Amino acid sequence: MKVVVIGAGEVGRNISDILSKEGNDLIIIDKDEARLKTVTETLDVQTITGSGSSPRILKKAKLDQAEMVIAVTDSDETNIVACLIASTQSKVPFKIARIRMPDLDQNSVIFDKNHLKIDLCINPEREAVNKAISIMDYSGASEIIDFAEGRIKMVAFSIDRSCAAVGKNLIELNNLYGGDILIASIIRSNELIIPKGNSTIRAKDYIFAFAETKNVRTLLKFFGKDTEPVQRVFILGGGNTSLMLAEQLEVKGISTKIIEKRQDRCEMLSERLNKAVCLLGDGTSQDLLKEENIQEADYFIAVTGDEEANILSALLAKQLGAKRAICLINKVDYSHLIPIIGIDGVMNPRQATIGKILHFIRKGKIISATPLSDEKAEAVEFIALETSEITGKPLKNIKFPKGTIIGAIMRNNRVIIPGGDTMILPDDRVILVTLRSAISQIEKILTVKLDYF
Amino acid sequence: MRLRNISYILGGFLFLLGLTMIFPLFWSIYYKEDDCIAFVISIAVTCLAGALLYFFSRPKDEDVSLAHKDGFLIVALVWVLAPACGSLPYLFYGALPHFTDAFFESISGFTTTGATVISGLDDLPHGILFWRSMTQWLGGMGIIVLSIAILPLLGVGGMQLYKAELPSPVKDKITPRVTETARTLWIVYIIISTVEFILLLFGGMDTFNAICHTFSTMSTGGFSTSDASIGQFHSSYIDGIITVFMFIAGVNFTLHYILLTGNIRPLLQNSEFRFYSAIVIAAILIVMVDLRCHLLDTVGSSIRYSSFQVVSILTTTGFTTANFDNWPVLSKTIILILMFFGGSAGSTAGGIKCLRILLILKQGYLELYRLIHPHAVKAVKLGKRIVYPETMASIWGFFILYLAVTIIAFILLSSLGLDIMTAFSAVVATIGNIGPGFGMINAASTYADIPAAGKWILSFLMIVGRLEIYTVIILLIPEFWRK
Repeated sequence: MKVVVIGAGEVGRNISDILSKEGNDLIIIDKDEARLKTVTETLDVQTITGSGSSPRILKKAKLDQAEMVIAVTDSDETNIVACLIASTQSKVPFKIARIRMPDLDQNSVIFDKNHLKIDLCINPEREAVNKAISIMDYSGASEIIDFAEGRIKMVAFSIDRSCAAVGKNLIELNNLYGGDILIASIIRSNELIIPKGNSTIRAKDYIFAFAETKNVRTLLKFFGKDTEPVQRVFILGGGNTSLMLAEQLEVKGISTKIIEKRQDRCEMLSERLNKAVCLLGDGTSQDLLKEENIQEADYFIAVTGDEEANILSALLAKQLGAKRAICLINKVDYSHLIPIIGIDGVMNPRQATIGKILHFIRKGKIISATPLSDEKAEAVEFIALETSEITGKPLKNIKFPKGTIIGAIMRNNRVIIPGGDTMILPDDRVILVTLRSAISQIEKILTVKLDYF
Repeated sequence: MRLRNISYILGGFLFLLGLTMIFPLFWSIYYKEDDCIAFVISIAVTCLAGALLYFFSRPKDEDVSLAHKDGFLIVALVWVLAPACGSLPYLFYGALPHFTDAFFESISGFTTTGATVISGLDDLPHGILFWRSMTQWLGGMGIIVLSIAILPLLGVGGMQLYKAELPSPVKDKITPRVTETARTLWIVYIIISTVEFILLLFGGMDTFNAICHTFSTMSTGGFSTSDASIGQFHSSYIDGIITVFMFIAGVNFTLHYILLTGNIRPLLQNSEFRFYSAIVIAAILIVMVDLRCHLLDTVGSSIRYSSFQVVSILTTTGFTTANFDNWPVLSKTIILILMFFGGSAGSTAGGIKCLRILLILKQGYLELYRLIHPHAVKAVKLGKRIVYPETMASIWGFFILYLAVTIIAFILLSSLGLDIMTAFSAVVATIGNIGPGFGMINAASTYADIPAAGKWILSFLMIVGRLEIYTVIILLIPEFWRK
């Protein structure tokens, strides 16, 4: 597939990396020659220097042969114009744009198919906010990913030293739990492990586990996580992300306090929000935090534009008694640090954008795909076809590529956590976790065998 | 540095190289000549060495990724190992019994220099002659570019290697994937070669000579099948065809690709192409007038000899139809200067490259302009694009290093007791991948009488010139090897 990516920022680069390694032909357009230089040094792609909203540059990128345009520059306008040119000048079938402006969301009239013809609009901040909200819905988890229309969830959390599961292998764990737990992968000191029955759990592991939605809380409790519903939240920073977050928290009836340095932002926030308390001050001031009873907070969410400040202030808040902390972080490089230093969750707008784009691209054979936090693995959901190689055989007899694990099966609205003897039947919804390097092999296995035609 | 991956990839290259020796083997079987055994042994040795390296250093987890530095090392190693293996047929057949000579001949082939130590080419078997020309053709577009095009084993790492081998300061890809780009360039190369082959057949050349000369023209190599070079054919038609194709081979192959897709404009508007053509025309005119006034009787023959020799030297081919060492001083001077220039960037030619000369001239003009308008904001432009100061700096760096290497080698060669003209032109003709020079190494003689130490220095210069300085010199910097 030919893909034109506009914007060689973190999102553009990451998406290109993934797509190019899967065998797609990529052309990346960016204004900044130096940025493109780093791209060509690491990726096997073609680059063009110029503005992504210029028809001439887009023509040079052979837009008429492209099957997809992904516009992820910093400028909403450039992204919209690029998609517009892609649909009018060259009839590119799929157009994805990143739109930052909070007033424009996917439901806005102008994104109607008949006007701008953008197939997927992504607002990174909104995606990040949604992530934070879903984490708060299941407090105790660091990440929550939905499958099968929300009936199955993949939960990510870190293992504390005091957790009962430490030192146990997966088989013992199942006996202890008295039911089926499926641990899809473990991140241990920066490495992703796809566990087997005899793998043991250690303190500080970061675990991805599958569970039926109604069992998520029990699962978290089992791993020693406090799952009390959230009542009080502190937000640090008064930007657009903060506003979106506060609006959603208001709807849920959670009491919210926002700390912001700038007078005018505070005024704007208090104008837009009804119940939230806007505090003018410095989020790293102990006095202010104590004065506002930080020790009562269930969550401290730092969403300023300065990611280092977010991390430090979150640590400070936890020190002062906040139960949990979530940080907004854009650098993927930092994400390994997070469980280690004791921050409970991350909102990463860029990663959320990448996840959403992948989710969209993988549609087809696969219902959805979500990258796991360290980007090396993906959770994939698909419907088993009668003719596919994997149906009608016990799982232990199927030859999967290395580093693949079946996480959950949904059959007639029933969720099955599979074992070695489980068989996949036609029309089952199957969720599996696999290393990114094996994705194209998985896609092959899932497709219909040729001799059936 | 990932030594395992490096030797794995080297193994693949060597195996591939061994396979290419099958073609000269066919010729020697066809002509039933005695160099047949030499090729069989050479193939066996090269393929075996390659296969052993390949299988014993196969990475365990299929991860053949390369660090940034590894690219330079691999390319340099390939360019030493390939000529070493390529010298085996000369050694085994006995055409060149000393390894120094065989290696010199082989590297002169791969780097498309065309400097030879063999006199009495006309008596050599066809297989050996074919192999000489073929090494040039392989080296012209690049053995690594070829490997990237047909071996799937280099994913992203391919780009590192491609950049280290492709002779051009501006490295644009014409397609998204490096494999695809390499393949496209080779296809363009093959298409143009085929056209030349057919046109040479029309000129009355036999198939064998037509292939060999096509190989050494398109690669701007300059190996011929006779001591008299192209002069052996005594045909103005063949001189003309070869002149035209040498000129074509000195043009950026990306432009040929665009031309073949039916778009002639980018070629005509390309600043480097215009500059290159202007140099060709100007040099031909000067040499022609000079020849007509001092040496030749007719305008026709002046045009014929001047155009052939000017294009041959500028594109760093090194074919000869006349011994230009006997030409008037002005013509000799022009030819010596052209040796520095070389063809276009992204072509098979060597030298400093017209693009760099053009940009340096533009930079020089810009400095004058700034003196006149101290507040003017103006940048060096190439066509409609600004050349970034970083690119300019790397061009200056290249220029200085090229001259520095030339000067050091000149001093070293002079210390070996060669006369000044021989020493200087030998250095310039090898670092520029040209071939013949002046004095002891003029068009009518060979490099055979250069002392062995001199041959090694010149062999080194040929690799340095072919890989455009940086890739080789970087290996000599201690910083490169520091962990």
